[in-house]
Amino acid sequence: MRLTCKASSTLAVFAVSLSVGACEPLADALEEPTQFVSPGSELMAQQAPQVQRPTASGARGPRMDPSEASGRWPFYWTRAAYSGYGRGGWGRGGSWATDFPKGDRQFLFVLKRLVRLDAHDWENAVSLADPVLRRFPVIYMVEPGYMDMTDSEVAGLRRFLDAGGFLIVDDFWGMREWNVFEYNMRRVYPERPIVDIRLDHKIYSAYYDIEEVKQVPAIGFTRRGSTAECWGCEPEVKGMYDDEGRLMVIINFNTDLGDAWEWAEDPSYPLQYSTYAYEMGANMIVYAMSH
Amino acid sequence: MDRIFEFFFKYRPLVFEQGDFTFAAPGTVRMWLIAAGVVGAAAVASYTVARAKSTVFDRRIMAGLRVALFALLVFCLLQPALILSTVVPQQNFVGVLIDDSQSMLLLDESGTPRTSFLQDAFTPDESELLTALSDRFVLRFFRFSDVASRIDGLGDLTFDGTHTDLGGALDAAREELSGVPLSGLILITDGAHNSDRPLTESLVPLQAAGVPVFTVGLGEEVVAPDIEMGRVEIPRSVLEGSALVVDVVVTQIGLGRRTVPIIVEDDLKILAEETVDLGPDGEPVVARISLKLEGEGPRRIHFRIPPQSGERVERNNARTVQIEVRGEREKILYLEGEPRFELKFMRRAVADDENIQLVILQRTAEGKFLRLEISDSTELQFGFPASREELYHYRSLIIGSVEASFFAHDQLQMIADFVSERGGGLLMLGGRSAFAEGGWAGTPVEEVMPVVLGEPAGGEEGFFAEIVVKPTPAGLAHAAVQLGEDGEGVSERWDSLPPVTIVNPISEVRLGATVLLTGTSPDLPDDQVVLAFQRYGRGKSIAMTVQDSWLWQMIPALEDQSHETFWKQVLRWLIDGVPESVEVVTDQEQVEPGESVRIIATVGDSTYIEVNDASVTARITSPSGLIEEVPVEWTVERDGEYVVEFRPSELGEYEVEITAERDGNTLGSDRTYLYTAASDEEYFGANRHTQTLRRIADETGGQFYTPEDVASLPDDIRITGAGVTLVEQMALWDMPFLFFLMLTLMGAEWGFRRLRGLV
Repeated sequence: MRLTCKASSTLAVFAVSLSVGACEPLADALEEPTQFVSPGSELMAQQAPQVQRPTASGARGPRMDPSEASGRWPFYWTRAAYSGYGRGGWGRGGSWATDFPKGDRQFLFVLKRLVRLDAHDWENAVSLADPVLRRFPVIYMVEPGYMDMTDSEVAGLRRFLDAGGFLIVDDFWGMREWNVFEYNMRRVYPERPIVDIRLDHKIYSAYYDIEEVKQVPAIGFTRRGSTAECWGCEPEVKGMYDDEGRLMVIINFNTDLGDAWEWAEDPSYPLQYSTYAYEMGANMIVYAMSH
Repeated sequence: MDRIFEFFFKYRPLVFEQGDFTFAAPGTVRMWLIAAGVVGAAAVASYTVARAKSTVFDRRIMAGLRVALFALLVFCLLQPALILSTVVPQQNFVGVLIDDSQSMLLLDESGTPRTSFLQDAFTPDESELLTALSDRFVLRFFRFSDVASRIDGLGDLTFDGTHTDLGGALDAAREELSGVPLSGLILITDGAHNSDRPLTESLVPLQAAGVPVFTVGLGEEVVAPDIEMGRVEIPRSVLEGSALVVDVVVTQIGLGRRTVPIIVEDDLKILAEETVDLGPDGEPVVARISLKLEGEGPRRIHFRIPPQSGERVERNNARTVQIEVRGEREKILYLEGEPRFELKFMRRAVADDENIQLVILQRTAEGKFLRLEISDSTELQFGFPASREELYHYRSLIIGSVEASFFAHDQLQMIADFVSERGGGLLMLGGRSAFAEGGWAGTPVEEVMPVVLGEPAGGEEGFFAEIVVKPTPAGLAHAAVQLGEDGEGVSERWDSLPPVTIVNPISEVRLGATVLLTGTSPDLPDDQVVLAFQRYGRGKSIAMTVQDSWLWQMIPALEDQSHETFWKQVLRWLIDGVPESVEVVTDQEQVEPGESVRIIATVGDSTYIEVNDASVTARITSPSGLIEEVPVEWTVERDGEYVVEFRPSELGEYEVEITAERDGNTLGSDRTYLYTAASDEEYFGANRHTQTLRRIADETGGQFYTPEDVASLPDDIRITGAGVTLVEQMALWDMPFLFFLMLTLMGAEWGFRRLRGLV
C-alpha cells in the first residue's frame, strides 16, 4: 500500500478510454496499477442511463427527486443556482446552468471511477438562497461573470461559507466578467481578499500532482485551435481564505473545466485539457472534503 | 436494664452467658427427684384428703401452687450454680488503647470534649474504673492515631493525630503484649477508622489468640446539625482544557432541604460555583460540577461549602484534591475509507486543540492514501500500521467508513489488542462500510465494539434513517456529551441540533456497555444507539453510529459551538486514561510528613508487554529541591509491577520521576506528584461509629460500652478475659428472684383461699 502520487498519466489513459473506448495498460503509471482498472467501453455503456434520469423540476432548475433524501449519500455534486442576467444552459435557466446537467453527470461518473467516493449518481442544483444548501458542503458555480445575486443569495452564500462550506468557481473569462464576479463576492465578503493560489499549495497535490495551471478551452474554441475566450487571457487559480487561514473558495479564472468534463468523451476534444480538468476536479474535491 | 437483671438474678447477664449451669448439692439427681416426688405426692394427697368446702377445681389449683412451691424449694436445695473461668487477679495484663487523634477534641452538644471521659475514668486515685481495673489487672497504656505506641499515662496524650488506624493500634498492642498473659484489650475511641487497611486483617489474629477487645465508644451517635463533603470524584490526571464533570457527594444531618453553594477554587481563583439542594434530612446528594482546567502541571483544587449557622463541625465542609493537568500533544490515528465530510469537520473541530494531534490516513482510491498531520514523511508511508509497535505509537484509533476486508487478519487482531493490551481508545464511526454493513461481524474487532452487530442491512440502497439525537440519563452525566458552557441545559442543547442520518441500524449494546446518546425516528420501531462505549481490557471502545455529525456544524447558527465542543470532548475522552508503556503512580495522592507511601511503577516494552527484568529508578525531588534516587523493585506478584516505599519528610509537593531501562536501553519514563500536608480526615465522619466498635467487640469475644455503662467493664473482663484463669463457682440458690417467686406462690395460694372463702 504505497502512497501513489503520479497518477496524471492514469487519468490521461482514462480520458482516452472515455473518448475512444480503449483500455490502455496502466502498469507503468502506478506503483500498484492493478488497482486502477480502466473502465473503457464498459464506462461508456454505463453512461447511457444517465440521460434518462427522471428529475423533479422547479423554477430554479432540477431538484433532487423527492424519493432521494438528502443525506443518504455522503457526497452530492451540487451546482449553485444563482440569479443572473446572462445566457443559460439547461432550459435557459440562467448562466448558473451552463453545461448542466451533462457536465455534472459526466464529471460525477468519472470522478467516482477515479476517487473512492460514495457519491449520489446525479446532478443536484440548489439555490444559494435555499437553506438546504448547507447540507452540501461543496458547491460548484459556473459563469459567475453573468451573476447578479439577490440579497438572500448573498446572505445564503456567506452563511454557507462561514459554516465551513467550500465553493468551486469555474468558467468565466476576461476582466468584465471578473469584475462582475468580484462585485458579487464583495457583497458576500466586503473585506476578504482574493489571492492567487500558487502551485505550491496543497490543493495541487491533494490527489494528483499538478505542476502547471492550464487554460482549458470550451469545446467550440478547440475546434478553432484556440484555448482562450478573450484576447490575451491567461488562466489563473485564485482563492479566498477564512479567518483561520483555510481555503474556502477556489476560483478557476480564464478557463473552463466544466466544458472539458462535459466533452471529455468527444474524440475532438484535446486529451491534455480533459485530463487536466479531471485532475483538477479530483484534487478540489479531495481537498475540500479533507481540509 | 442490666441493673434490674442483676438485682433479681444476682449476676449480670454476661455471667449467665459465660457460665455453665450446675447443681452443687451432694447426692445424685435421682435421689433428689425421688425426694421431690415424695414431697409433691404428700402435698397433693393432703389436698385430696382435706376437702372441707372446697371444690375439685379449688383443690387442683391449691395443690398445683403448693407443688410448685415445693419444687422451688427442692431446686434451691439442689444448690444451683454457674461454673465459669475467671482471671486470676494481678496475674494478667490488660492493654488500654486510647485514641489520640484530633477528633477526640470535638465537643458534644453540651460543650464537653470527648477527652473528658479519659479524665473521669483514668485519673489515678480518683477514678473508680481505673481502680477496679488496677485491682484486677496489670495495665499497659497505649496511644494511637495513625500509629500506636506505649505511654505511661494520660499525660503523654496530645490529641493531634490526623488519622486513626484502629487495626494498626490493635496489631501494635497485641504484638507488644504477646509475651505476657493477656486478658484483653480495651479500645477507647470514637471509632472513626480512616485507614485504607481493612480491619479484618487485625481482628483475625486476635481471634486466633483468643484476646477479646472491649471497646468504649466516645462521642455522639449523631452530630447535628452538620454538613460534610463526603467524596470528590475526580481523575488523577486530565488533558489541559478538557471538560471535566466532577461528582461531589454531600451529606448533612439537621440541614435538610437547604440550598448551599459549592465553591471550587485553586490557589489563584474561583473555578466554578454550583448551588446544590441538600435534599431530605440525612440523605446524601451528589452535586455535579463542570470544570475546565488550563495550565499544565500539578494542581490542587479545593471544594468547599461555606459553614452554615450552628454547624457543629466546620472543618469537614471542604476537600482538597490533586490533579495533574497534562499538556502533551496526544496522537490519534484516524483511518477513513473514503473522502467524507465527517473527516473534514472533525479535523476542523479539533484544529485549535493543542493537545490533540489528529493524524489522518484517508483512502482516496484503492491503494492510494492521503496523509495529514503526520509528524514526518515516513509516518504511515506504507499505509495502516502493520506492526504493533507502529500502531501502539498512537494513543487512540478512529476507524471511519472502512470495510473489515481492508485489513489483514493480523491487523484486525492487532486492533483488538490495541484496546485490550495497549489500553488504547477505539472509536468506530458510522458509514456504509462500518459495523455490520462493513463486514465487521465475526472479526476480532467485533468483540471489542460496545454495540451488537446484527445482519447487514439488505437491499440495493441499504438502510437509511434520519434521527433526532438525545442524551440518555447516563449521557446527561457524562462529560463527553455536555454541550453547554457550564453543564446546564444539556438536553435543551441537544434538542436544538438538527437531525442527522444513520446507515447502520444498531439498537442493541453489549452487556456492560453504556449508551450516552440515542436516536429516534418516527420511521423506526426502536431507538437507535448513537454513542455507546464500554471498557475492554485495559482500554475502551466507543461507537458513534452517525454518518454526518457535520450537520451539527453546517446547519445551526454560526455561534453554536456544539459540533466543535462535542468532538473535542469525545476525542479527549478517547485518549483520556490511555496508559503509557511505563507509568508511575502513588497509592495515595496526599500524605502527611513521615507517613509511608508506595510508589508503584508499571513497566512494559514498546508493545506493552510487561517487563520484569527492567532496572527502574525513582528520582524524587522534595519541595525544597533535595533530590533522592531510589531503586524500585519488581514485586514478583504481578508482571511488570515495581514498588518502593517512601516516607516524605517535608511539607509540600514532591515530584516523582521514574525511569525504566533494560539492557542499557531506556524503556520509558513517567512522572507523578505527591503532596504532603496536614490532614483534616479526622473531622470527616466525626460521629461515634458504634457499628464498627460493636463489630470489633463481637468478633473478638469482647463487649461494647459507652461511658454510661463502662463501670462493669472490670468485672466483665474478669469473667470473659483470657490469660491465667481459675474455675469459680457462683451460687444461684440465693437469687432474689427465687425468693420473690416463693413469696409469690405462697401469696397466690393464700389469696386464692381468701377469694374462694376457704380461710
